[in-house]
Formats: sequence, structure tokens, C-alpha cells
Amino acid sequence: MIYAIMYGLTVGAILYLISVGFSLTFGTMRVINFAHTLTYTIGAYLLVASLRQVGIPFLWGGVVGVGVAALVGYCIERFVIRRLYGESLDYTFIATFAVFLIGVDIIKWIWGVYPKPISDPIGRAAEFFGFVFPVYRILVIVLAILVFFGLEFFIRKTMVGKIIVAALDNKEGVRCLGIGVEKYFTIAFVLGSALAALGGVLYAPITAVHPYMGSHILLLCFAVVLTGGLGNLRGTFLASFFLGMLISITGRFWPAGSEIVAFIAMALVLLLRPIEA
Amino acid sequence: MLQVIGIDAAYGHARVLHDVSLELEEGEMLFIVGRNGAGKTTLLRTIMGLLRPLKGSIKFDGGDIAGLSPEELYHRGFRYVAQDKKVFGSLTVRENIEIAAYSSGEPLSRAVDKVLEIYPKMRDFLNLKAGQLSGGQRQILLIGQALVGTPRLLLIDEPTQGLAAVVINEIAKILKRLKGQLSAIIVEQNLPLVTKLADKVVVLKEGKVIATLREASEICNTDLLEKSL
Repeated sequence: MIYAIMYGLTVGAILYLISVGFSLTFGTMRVINFAHTLTYTIGAYLLVASLRQVGIPFLWGGVVGVGVAALVGYCIERFVIRRLYGESLDYTFIATFAVFLIGVDIIKWIWGVYPKPISDPIGRAAEFFGFVFPVYRILVIVLAILVFFGLEFFIRKTMVGKIIVAALDNKEGVRCLGIGVEKYFTIAFVLGSALAALGGVLYAPITAVHPYMGSHILLLCFAVVLTGGLGNLRGTFLASFFLGMLISITGRFWPAGSEIVAFIAMALVLLLRPIEA
Repeated sequence: MLQVIGIDAAYGHARVLHDVSLELEEGEMLFIVGRNGAGKTTLLRTIMGLLRPLKGSIKFDGGDIAGLSPEELYHRGFRYVAQDKKVFGSLTVRENIEIAAYSSGEPLSRAVDKVLEIYPKMRDFLNLKAGQLSGGQRQILLIGQALVGTPRLLLIDEPTQGLAAVVINEIAKILKRLKGQLSAIIVEQNLPLVTKLADKVVVLKEGKVIATLREASEICNTDLLEKSL
């Protein structure tokens, strides 16, 4: 059971890193970005390529993965999504899904369709009260918590963060105070893409890297973001760990239903959550 | 100062304003009255650049401003207080003011002082989340935000709508204080308030201007105003 909890915390940490950007972009731009988990996949693949083809250390491979994915995120926002602000959600839905499919096909073209496993970069375990945990997984959880506090600081204490929060509450109100929200949307979008890529980089040694890893995690992202509340960053953090634990603990007793429970939990939250006036 | 000349505006295919014209002099307080659906809010949103007019022009200090964005208009001194009383509810009252100060380039302490000048009680709420304020306090905060920087034209949509009498008095006091210092276009259904403060009243009906009242005797005649509605 302790190991299931540990695995749940790891899954929660990864889900948080990926979902927080998704929540941020929907909250500010009202865009359902299906291409979000493409940056997660790109991050993981660039890490693998850096390790296997270039031979640089894991840390630098991770930096390359996150950096390039952030750049891809910027291009998606600048050339696709920015043209669709204010349009019906259907357009962004279709356009970003198209970007996702094109991206996945490019990944298949470059790296093939076979999964690419990589090993735990630390390769050591720590023992607590007789239980042995891989240090890498502890590090992933700690990193997610650090990202949460870093993001909280950025959002609550910096002017850019405050403007993003204000735009989450009332985009038009921000515009009428003379602030062009597009620049801040781009920052939020690139930040979200970079965090998703960080999730991909960190998850790569835990799961196999394959072209469809993004489509699989995308649905779980939806579950997290809807459970935590769209645009609610603290809610996203709590929902990620809650669903991560739920998936892991259910998987121990009922492997086939491990992910189904995440969607049942999401449905229950949506049904029971009070509707804001 | 501001001339709206023959503008039409629409939401999609639904045309809301038809050939609307009005004129505002420096320091004047103009009220727009009319029934629900008359196009009052649409007119303010069009002046603020939130809606592009289909035809006609809007001139400010002689230059055409139709089609400029709200961001550009803000920096020309336009301030818009929307009807919905939507503050940035997740931020504190001070942070709400800080955002306005950041945009206008005014020091935060001075911006806070401006808000406290019009409503000293706001001092007690500065560190409270703005979402926790009452409707009246939100309205006052939004008006205060609009005064940050160097505003020249206030556009206020239904400032007293849905508020208690005591809060309406408070807002009336604030507007009275601003009268003469700033130019303002205010959408308002509260006719006693209109008669007290208006330099000019424009009556809208079904998207058209049906009367413009300039004389004090016309404006103070609430019967006349009510008939116009």
C-alpha cells in the first residue's frame, strides 16, 4: 500500500506539471488547447534524443526538451491560437487538435513509432522505515511541489502574475485598464507549455516514451482541470495529487479500472460542485 | 471634446444602434437614459472601443477614434466602468488598484489615496479580496480605479443599479464631487439622480436618439423624462 501511495504521488506530480498549464490557458484565454500535451511529448522525445543521439547528461537533455517545447508552445500560440481569440471554442478545439495530430505524425516520422524506454538517471533508492523508494521519484514529487510554490509566488507576487489572475477574473476589465492581454496570454501559454514539457521529461524514465503518450495523458489532464476548477491553480494542484493517488490505489486492487475512477471522481465533482451565480 | 456622429453598431446580425449622434463638452456630465434594450450599454461599449461601429465616426479632441482598441483609448484618458460590477475578485482591493496604477504609471500610494479620497472606508478593505466586497463597495472600487492616472472621460454604465439607497447616496456624492472636474457619460435609470447631476440628457429608444435635453428646465422635469422613456 505504501508503494501505491508513493506511485500515486509521482503520478500526481506529473499530472500537476502537465495540467497546470492547461488550466492556466483555459482560464485566461478560454482556449481548450488540444496541442498542450504535444509539448509534453516533445519534451520527452528531445530528452531521449539528447541522451541517445547527442550523449549529453540528463539535466541538459531536460533543459533542451523544456526549452524547445516552450518555443513550440510560443509558435502554436503566436501562429494558431492568437488568430482564434474570441472565436467559438469549436474552432480552437479543431485547430489545436489538428496541430496535435500533425505534431504526433512529425514525431513518428523523425523517431518512429516504437516506445523508447530510458533508465532512471539517479538509479539509487532511499530507505524510510523499512520501505525502499527510488530517489528519482522522490525528486519528481519535490520538484512538482517546488513548481507549485514557485508558480504561487509568480502569480501572487509579480505584476505579470497579478495581471494574469486579473485576466482570469475579467479579461475585458484588464483591457479597459489599458493593458494588452495578448502579451500576458503568451507568457501564460509558454509557461504552460514549458511545464508540460517538464512533466514529459520527468515522466520519461518512469514510463516509455512513445508518440501517443500525449493523447493518453490529455484525457487525464481534462479530469484534473475539471476536478480542480478551470483556471484554479491551487485546485489543480490538489486535484492532481488526489487523482494520482486514486489511480494508483485503485490500480492496486482493480488494475483495469484505475483510470476510470479518475473520470468518475471528475463527474461526481462536477455534479456536486455548487454552481456559481 | 467628444462627438459621436451617426454611428450604427451591431452584435453579429442584430443591429442595436441606428444613426446615433451625441456631443460632449469638456467637463460636462451627460446622462443616457432609456428602457432596457434601448442600446445604452452598446453605445458606451462602442465609444470605449469594445465594439467597432458599422458606420459613422467618433471624434475625440478632433481626431477620429472609432476602431481604436480599449487599451489605446485608456491611454488617451478614457475610463470605462462596466455594468456588471466585476472587480478582479481573486485579488485584494489594493492589488485591484495596483493594476490600474501599473497601467497608468501612477505610483501605487497616490492611486490608493485617490480611491480613499472618494471613499475613506475603503481603507479597512484594502487587504481583503475584492470578491468579498458588497455590490456597492465594488462599484466604488471600480469608479476609484477609473480615477487612477489622468482620466479625461469617464464612461459609467448603470452605477446605481441594484444597490441599496444608502449606497446610491454614496455614489451620488462621488459623482457630484467629480462633476465639473471630468467629462462623463453615464448610463442611468435613476431619474432623480439624473435630474440632480446631468448637464445634458440623451434619451435612447430602440437604438435611436429620440431626445437630447440640454436645458435645466427640461432635465429637471422628471415627468418629461419619464414620458421620453
